[in-house]
Amino acid sequence: MSNLFAADLINAEPLWRTIEQPMALKALVATIGVALIILELWWFLRRHGGGVAARESEAGLQEITITVDGGYVPSRIQVKAGRPLRLSFHRMNPSGCLAQVIFPDFHKTLDLPLNATTGLELPATKAGVYPFHCGMNMVRGVLEVVD
Amino acid sequence: MSSTSPSPSCCHATKGPAELADGMERELARERTLLRRKIRVAALLTALVMLSSLPHMLGGGHPSFLPPWFTSPWTQLLLTTPVLFWCGRDFFTGAISAFRQHSADMNTLVAAGTGIAWLTSLFTTLFPQVLIAEGLPADVYYETAAVILTLVLLGRLLEARARGQTSEAIRRLLQLQPPTARVVREGQAVEVPVSLVVVGDLVQVRPGEKVPTDGVVIEGSSWVEESMLTGEPTPIAKASGDTVIGASMNRSGSFTFRVSRIGADTVLAQITDLVRQAQSSRTQVQRLADQVVGWFVPVVIALAIAAFVVWFLISGNAVLAMLFLVSVLVIACPCALGLATPTSIMVASGKGAENGLIFRSAEALETAGKLRTVVLDKTGTLTRGQPEVTDFERLPDGVLPAGTLLALTAALESRSEHPLAEAIVTYARSRLKEGELPSVKGFEAVAGRGLQGSIGGQQVQVGTPRWFEELGIDTAALQPLVERLEVAARSVAVVVVDGRMEACFGVADPLKSTSAGAVAALRRLGLQVVMLSGDARRTADVVAAQVGIKRVIAEVRPADKASVIKRLQEQGEGPVAMVGDGINDAPALAQADVGIAMGSGTDVAIAASDITLISGNLGGVPAAIELSRAAMANIRQNLFFAFAYNVAGIPLAAGLLFPLTGWLLSPMIAGAAMAFSSVSVVSNALRLRRFQPLPLAEASN
Repeated sequence: MSNLFAADLINAEPLWRTIEQPMALKALVATIGVALIILELWWFLRRHGGGVAARESEAGLQEITITVDGGYVPSRIQVKAGRPLRLSFHRMNPSGCLAQVIFPDFHKTLDLPLNATTGLELPATKAGVYPFHCGMNMVRGVLEVVD
Repeated sequence: MSSTSPSPSCCHATKGPAELADGMERELARERTLLRRKIRVAALLTALVMLSSLPHMLGGGHPSFLPPWFTSPWTQLLLTTPVLFWCGRDFFTGAISAFRQHSADMNTLVAAGTGIAWLTSLFTTLFPQVLIAEGLPADVYYETAAVILTLVLLGRLLEARARGQTSEAIRRLLQLQPPTARVVREGQAVEVPVSLVVVGDLVQVRPGEKVPTDGVVIEGSSWVEESMLTGEPTPIAKASGDTVIGASMNRSGSFTFRVSRIGADTVLAQITDLVRQAQSSRTQVQRLADQVVGWFVPVVIALAIAAFVVWFLISGNAVLAMLFLVSVLVIACPCALGLATPTSIMVASGKGAENGLIFRSAEALETAGKLRTVVLDKTGTLTRGQPEVTDFERLPDGVLPAGTLLALTAALESRSEHPLAEAIVTYARSRLKEGELPSVKGFEAVAGRGLQGSIGGQQVQVGTPRWFEELGIDTAALQPLVERLEVAARSVAVVVVDGRMEACFGVADPLKSTSAGAVAALRRLGLQVVMLSGDARRTADVVAAQVGIKRVIAEVRPADKASVIKRLQEQGEGPVAMVGDGINDAPALAQADVGIAMGSGTDVAIAASDITLISGNLGGVPAAIELSRAAMANIRQNLFFAFAYNVAGIPLAAGLLFPLTGWLLSPMIAGAAMAFSSVSVVSNALRLRRFQPLPLAEASN
């Protein structure tokens, strides 16, 4: 298992060798690389579209269903301040990390059984941004409370 | 009500937290079984792939014992594909659905890393001549993809197992409740499931049994051990009228109690609920880690692409550049960053619950370790809060007979709920023959001063000497007496009838046996200890001296307690903790950076505090601070490790050191490092389970 360890890899001679590549190919690889980086950062880091607004029932209760499947769909939820809110999480992904959703600002943890919808009632809140995330803090969503 | 048909209210009996947790537990167990099966398959196939790639690893020499068909790239392709796309299926589906959501996580890195290794190998398998034309060996890297995936799966299993242990304390709490209760129905004791017990039921408890739910003893007596809930080690005597808590252990006697709370209302349920709430909150440090995690994966992907481009430009060797790309992708571990604080908080708050310390939020746990000043309320915190009258002295001006005076005083004091008033009423009643007290008109309580009212045409006032000074009554005759009582740590209450000083009471509130030890422990932890009291300065000084407190703020009215805390904070002595019994101290508890309430053991409904000590034992305060410091140190280690690991690992994987040292990290080693970095973080958090508060030095009295 010689290439498992660092220095030995140099001895695996044919792999570690310099090959003269035409300038055009180098330029092409560099351009594609930079383009990929920009595209990837744009895709993951830029905010795409606004939040999805919650429905409002006649009783003034705001409701929205969130599908949990590798991420929260929608992951950015817009609700109005000062009205109670009911979030329904429908979990479809078996990953154990998604089995819990945590709202740190509300001190709430909700267990989400697989292939079922679980409701969470939140009290009326002040305007602000309240993040929520999965049990391992990898999958995230945001609750945007606006006036 | 018959014993067979539950009353309607039973049906509402809230589903115990234990049952809910059970469902999740089963799901987690199922998931772990599936994971284990996948790991077994992955390990077997990976071992075969490694054997098959042996000639390539050995650098060309072909071991004679392996048939050529076995070492062919096609065999390796056949063996590796199920490892990636069956055993590792979740990584790919997870990565794809995350990608659609514009998010990237652990799955993205693993899927991209192994996927790229597999794809390039597939290319080589299909078109080996392309590489050969370039002057490169047509090597495949199937074994790299398989090994990484197997290691990551293994890491995930170890991590899941360790994470299960972080919530062990809560699980243990939930398991404390016995499954059945012996309920008296129609004169007969019947064994029924605890979920069918209703408020008002009579329940029998025999020696060695656990108390099934909360209630009040109506018959019999016993010693009950509440240590699992309050951390209080010694058993407590229970007799008729005393409250018992569900899940506590009955030692010697038998008794019957009337059920007062069931299901989600019980002390046990409230404790587990509070702990779960704390575990759902987050610390300030975590906010920072969270922000980093949000950026982390996209940045790592960018770095990996950059590594590929740079190495291609330097060497023109696409295969080598690909290996660097894969290494960077699989070495990065955002999980370790994400897990660093929550796991420590989970373990620490569970550990606190085991010791009767309930942290209401992660922030309380965080701040408690940074405290510089601890303010202790005297009554009920340092002392037992059950004062007794020790002296009853007539004054020279007095004209009324003792009996009349005691009746007047008791009549007035019985209208107040102040502990001092209760002590005086108890004392007066024990000395009076008839039970009827005269009626009071125009009753008024002057906060921090005393009480007044008119009884049978006489204006009666009972209060502090300072109050009467303020009212312009000449208290000179009182001074020697007050001095004597106050030096003996007694509080003084003067009785004034129609402006005449008639008598005075000396009331003592004995210290708790643990107070001196706890104060010493706090000082050992480097904290400034301040005593806050509404008593006269001399009395307060004497009590403070007995427990070893140097700084006393005396003669503080209940309403001013919060402003005293505020002043300390403004003087830069913060963060300040306030320890009180949570009734009249609520504003001060809320003002303090950390409000610590002494629970009575049965009453957990303490809203204004950040930390609740279930037992009334002051030793919980230093223990909470020690636990907080241990937890924060643990979090710092975790964060440091997680940051340092990524900061050191990524450049190493990108080959930054290669030109200098010739060090090159194999992608397989990178995968192993990643898999075990998050396991290490969780394991480090689990070390907190061994936390033990230092024992208090033996109390001076």
